[in-house]
Amino acid sequence: MFRFLATRLASAAVAALLSSLAVFLLMRSVPGDIVSQMLGQSGNDRTAEEALRGFFGLDRPVWAQFADWLGATLSGDLGRSWYQGRAVTTLVWEAFLVTAEIAVATLVIATLVGVPLGVLAGIREGTRTDAAIQAFNLLGLSAPVFWIGLMLLVGASALLEWSPPFAYMPPSVDLAENINIIILPVLSLSLLQAAAYSHFVRDTMVTELRREYVRAAIAKGLAPRQVYFKHALRNILIPLVTFIGLILIQILGGAVVIESLFSLPGLGRLILSGIQGRDYPVVQGALLFVVLIALVVNFVIDLLYGLIDPRLRP
Amino acid sequence: MPGSRLRLIAGAFAALVAAGPVLADDSLVYGKSDPAAKNGGKITVGSLIEPPSLDPFLQGADARIRVSGLMYQGLFFEDQTGVPRALLAKSFEVSPDAKTYTFKLREGVRFHTGQSMSSADVKYSYDWMRDSRNGSPGAGDLSSVTEIATPDATTVVFKLARPNAALPMTLTNKYGAVVPKDYFAAKDAGTKFNEVSVGTGPYKLKLFRPNSVLVLERNKDYWQKGLPHIDEVTFATMPNSAAIVVALQNRRIDLALFSRPQDTEQLKNVPGVEVKRWPSLNQKTLDLDVKYGHLKDIRVRQAIALAIDKEAVMKASIAGYGTVIGTIVIGMQDSWGVPLDQLANQKVDLDRAKKLLADAGLADGFDIDLTTIIGYDWMDAGAVTVAEQLKRIGIRVHIKKIELGVWIRNFRAREMGFTFNDWGTTPDPSLLYYRHFRAAPQGADFRNWNNEKVSALLDAGQEEPDPVKRKAIYAEFQKILADDPVSIMMFSADLITGQRDRLKNYDQHATGWYFGLIKAWLAN
Amino acid sequence: MSRIAGFLRELFATPLQILCAVLLTVVLVLVAVPGLVAPQSPYAIDVARALQPPSAAHWFGTDDVGRDLFSRVVHGTRITLGLVAGALLASAVVGGFLGLVAGYYGRAADLVFGRFVDMILTFPPVIAGVVITGVLGPGARNLILALAVVYIPMFFRIARSGALAERQRTYVEAARALGFGEASIMLRQVLPNVLPLVLLQYVILFPLALQIEAALGFLGLGVAPPTPDWGAILEQGKNFIFSAWWMSLWPGLFLLGAAFAVMVLGRTLQQRFDRR
Repeated sequence: MFRFLATRLASAAVAALLSSLAVFLLMRSVPGDIVSQMLGQSGNDRTAEEALRGFFGLDRPVWAQFADWLGATLSGDLGRSWYQGRAVTTLVWEAFLVTAEIAVATLVIATLVGVPLGVLAGIREGTRTDAAIQAFNLLGLSAPVFWIGLMLLVGASALLEWSPPFAYMPPSVDLAENINIIILPVLSLSLLQAAAYSHFVRDTMVTELRREYVRAAIAKGLAPRQVYFKHALRNILIPLVTFIGLILIQILGGAVVIESLFSLPGLGRLILSGIQGRDYPVVQGALLFVVLIALVVNFVIDLLYGLIDPRLRP
Repeated sequence: MPGSRLRLIAGAFAALVAAGPVLADDSLVYGKSDPAAKNGGKITVGSLIEPPSLDPFLQGADARIRVSGLMYQGLFFEDQTGVPRALLAKSFEVSPDAKTYTFKLREGVRFHTGQSMSSADVKYSYDWMRDSRNGSPGAGDLSSVTEIATPDATTVVFKLARPNAALPMTLTNKYGAVVPKDYFAAKDAGTKFNEVSVGTGPYKLKLFRPNSVLVLERNKDYWQKGLPHIDEVTFATMPNSAAIVVALQNRRIDLALFSRPQDTEQLKNVPGVEVKRWPSLNQKTLDLDVKYGHLKDIRVRQAIALAIDKEAVMKASIAGYGTVIGTIVIGMQDSWGVPLDQLANQKVDLDRAKKLLADAGLADGFDIDLTTIIGYDWMDAGAVTVAEQLKRIGIRVHIKKIELGVWIRNFRAREMGFTFNDWGTTPDPSLLYYRHFRAAPQGADFRNWNNEKVSALLDAGQEEPDPVKRKAIYAEFQKILADDPVSIMMFSADLITGQRDRLKNYDQHATGWYFGLIKAWLAN
Repeated sequence: MSRIAGFLRELFATPLQILCAVLLTVVLVLVAVPGLVAPQSPYAIDVARALQPPSAAHWFGTDDVGRDLFSRVVHGTRITLGLVAGALLASAVVGGFLGLVAGYYGRAADLVFGRFVDMILTFPPVIAGVVITGVLGPGARNLILALAVVYIPMFFRIARSGALAERQRTYVEAARALGFGEASIMLRQVLPNVLPLVLLQYVILFPLALQIEAALGFLGLGVAPPTPDWGAILEQGKNFIFSAWWMSLWPGLFLLGAAFAVMVLGRTLQQRFDRR
C-alpha cells in the first residue's frame, strides 16, 4: 500500500510540474505581454517599455523566470498579481470559495435528483419509466451547460420577470442575496450533473441486479425492496463515491463558462481574465491550484478503490 | 433624429475654443450644478469592463480612467467644450515666448490621507510621470517639459523646450494625477492604489474586488464645498449588455453607459428608466499600415477609402446611433474639423476605386487580413460589412480576431496591418493627432506614414498659441489625411446612458468617463 | 445488402434509437447539401432587416446585421461538426498512435508518453481548451489544436490498454516466431485489433468535444466572423438574449440535437461492443 501511495504521489508531482512548465512556456511564446497592455496606444517610448519589462522581470531569460517562480511556489508563495498587487494565494482562495460554493450546491442538487432517478430506472429496467429517464439523461448530457443557463435567464425574465443581481455577494454577508445570485448557475450545472449521475447509477444498478446473488435472494423469497436497498444499492455506493470525484472535476471545468455567463468571480473567471490581461502570476497560480485539486481528487479516488477493493491495487 | 442634439452642443464648442482656457468660473468644473440637489444615498453603476488596476499613472485604458478620475485629479479638468478648466490649479500665466507656464495652486486641498497639498507634491507627481523610466504612457505628452520649479508653496512653474499650446489640456486627468510627495518611495506603492486611494478627488476607494465590484465612498474633506452629493457609488461588473438592460429594468442598477447603443432599444418603453444620448470624443476607425502588403501603394489606400460606405458600416455596427465623420471625432468637428464635402475620398465611388486598383496592377483584386479585437462587439458586425463592401472592388477580406494585448503589441511595434481601431481623445487636436501621425521619434507614427509635411504641420499646430491660426494648420493636416487615408475615420458612436429616474443631474462626459457622478444626486 | 439492413435494424430498435437515426439523417443532409435546405446566403448582410423575429421569410429570424439565421444555423452544421470531426481525428491519430506504441513496446515509450498524457490530463478539459485558445488567440487553427490536445489522453489510454492486451495474445507470439519485425507486427496485426476501440472512443467523445467547441465559441475563443459556427452565433446572440431570443435558441437546439444523436449512437455501439 505504501509503495502504491508513493508512486501515485510522485507521478502526480511530476504531472503538476510539467503542466506548470507547459503553461509557463505557452504564455511566453506568444506576443503581447502585460507591458504592451499597460502602455496602450500611448506612443513608442522604449525607455518606458524597458522599465516596465524590467520591473516585471520579463527581461530575464525564460528559464530563470521559471526557476524563480518554482522556487517561490515551493516555499508557498505564488507571487502577486501584476495588476492588482494582491497576493495570488489570496485571489485564488477567494475565487475558489465562490466556485466551491457552486460546486457543492450543484453536487447536492444533482445527487438528490440524479440518484433516485437512476435507481428507479435501474429497478424498472426495460419499462417506459426507464426509457423516459434514459431519454432525460441523454438530453441532459447533450445540452451545452451555458446554453441551458441562457435559456434559464430568458425563461426567468419572460415568465417570472426576474433576473439575478449579478454583483456577487458572499453567503457570509447576505445569504438571501447570495442565493439569488447563484441559483441560476447552479441549476444550469445541476441538469448536466444530475443526468450524469442518473445515467451512471442506472447502468451500475442494472449490472448489479443481473448478478447471481441478487437473483438468488429474490428466488429465496426476500422482498424486492429489501434486495434493492440492502444489497444492490450498497454495492453501488463505492463506485458512486468515486464518481463524485469525477463530477467535481467536471464542475470545475464547466464553471469557467458558467461564471462568465453569470459574472461570478470564481476560479474560471480568474483564469480567463488573467489570460486576457496577461497577468502571468495569476494564471500560473490559479492553474496550479486547479491542477492540484484535480490531482488530489484523482488520488483520493485511487486510494478509495485501493482500500475498498484490494484487487485493484497495481 | 440622431445627431441633432449633438450638433447643438457641438455648436457651443466653437465659440468657446477661441476664448482659450477659462479659469474664472469654478462652478462649471465637472459640469453644471443643480440648485435642487440633495445629499446622501447610494447608487450602483453597471459596467461591462472593470479596471485591471487603479494606478492613475499607468495604463491608458478607459476602464481605469473612468473611475480613477473620481479619486485623482490633475491641474486641469478636460471640459468637453475643448477648454481646460482650473482644477487643482487656480490660474496660470504664460510667458511671452510661450515657453514658461506659471500655475497658481488652489489652497486648502487635502489628500485622502489627510495631508495638505502643496507645490512640492505637484512637482513630484509630474516629475514622476514625465520620467519615462517609470513607465507612464503619459510621459510622451510631457516630453517638451525641461524643468518643473516651485518658487513657493502655491506656485508651480513648467519650463518648456518649445512652446506647447496643448499643455493645460495635457495636465488633465487621463494620465497621472497629483499624489503626495514621495508616494512611490514605498516598494508596493504601485499596487497599493488598489487598496487605498491617495488622491484629492471627491471620492475615496472603499473596496475593489476584481471580477466583481468596485466601491467608492464620498470624500468628506473634499475641497469643493458641498460635493459630491452621493454617499457611495458601487460599480458592478456585468457579463453582457443584455444583463445590464435587465438590471436597469429591475432596479438593480441606477446607471449604465452602453458600448453598443442599439442595446438600449429595449429600454425605450420601460417606466422609470431614461435613455439619453450624448456627444462623444470617441471614433471608430479603419487603420492602414503603410508598410503592410499592398497597402504600401497610396492608390490601394485610396481605393479602399472609396469603397467604404461609412454610413452602412455604422448602421451594422451600432445600428446608426452615431454620426459619420471625416477626419476628426464628432465632438471636435465644429471647433476643429473640416466640413466633409471639402475632404477627398469621402463618397463611395466604385468605378474610381476599381480604376485605382487597376492602375496599381491589382485589377484582379487581392487577399488581405482585417484585424478586429476580441471584446469590442461593434467590430464583428463592422468587419463583416467592410468585407462585403470591399468585395465589390475585388478585395477579398479575411477577418482575424485577436486579443487586446496582442493587438496593442502589434500597434506599438508599428505592425498593425489592416485593422479596426476604437479611439478616444481629450478635446485638443494636438493630443488627438500628434502621437499617432507625427514621424518618429517625436511621434509614434503607428502607421509608418513617415510624412514630412504632416510632421511639420503637427509641430506647428502644437506650438501655435493663436487659436485661429491653429485651426488653419489642423485643417490643412486633415485635408492631407483625407487624401492619403492611412486612417479611415468612419464614425463617432453616440454615448448612450440608461438611468433610473431617481438619479438626477447626471451629465455624461464626452470622453465616456464618469465625471458626471460628482454633481449628480439622488431623489428621495 | 440485407446484412447491412439487418445490422441497421438491430442498431436502431428502440424509440430512442429511431429518433437518433432520424436526427443523424437530418444532420447528414445538412452537412452534405446545406444550400439546398437553406438557399438564402448565410453571409448576406441587410441592416434594414436586423433582429427580426422568426417569420415566413426568415424561419429562424435574423441576426443583428440582418443575416438569415436559418441559413446561418444550417450552413453552420458542416462547419461546426467539421471542426470537431477534424480535431478529434487529429487527436485519435496522435493519441492512438502514441498509445499503440506505448502499449506495445512499453518501457521508455510508455514512460515518456505516459507523463506527457498525464500532464494534459491534469487540466479539466474545458480549462485546457480555454488556456490554449486564450493564450494562442482564437481562430479555426488554434481551436482545432486545443480540441485535439484535450482529447489525446483519452485515445492514448484506450489504444494503450488495447495494445497491452493484444501483445500477450498468441498470434503475436506466432508472428514473432515467423520472423515478422516488431513494427510490422504492431501495425499489421495489433493495430487492426485496436482500431475498433479507437473508433468507438471517437464516437463517444464526439458529443463532449462538440460541447467544448461550442463553449469556446461562446467565450469568443472560437472561429472568426463571419463564419456561421454555432458557438460563435451564440456568442453574438448573448447581447440580445432578452430582445432577440431566437439568436440564442436555434443554434443551441441544433447543438443539443447533434450531440444527442451522436451520444445515442455511441451508447448503442458501446452496448453491442460490450456484448461481444
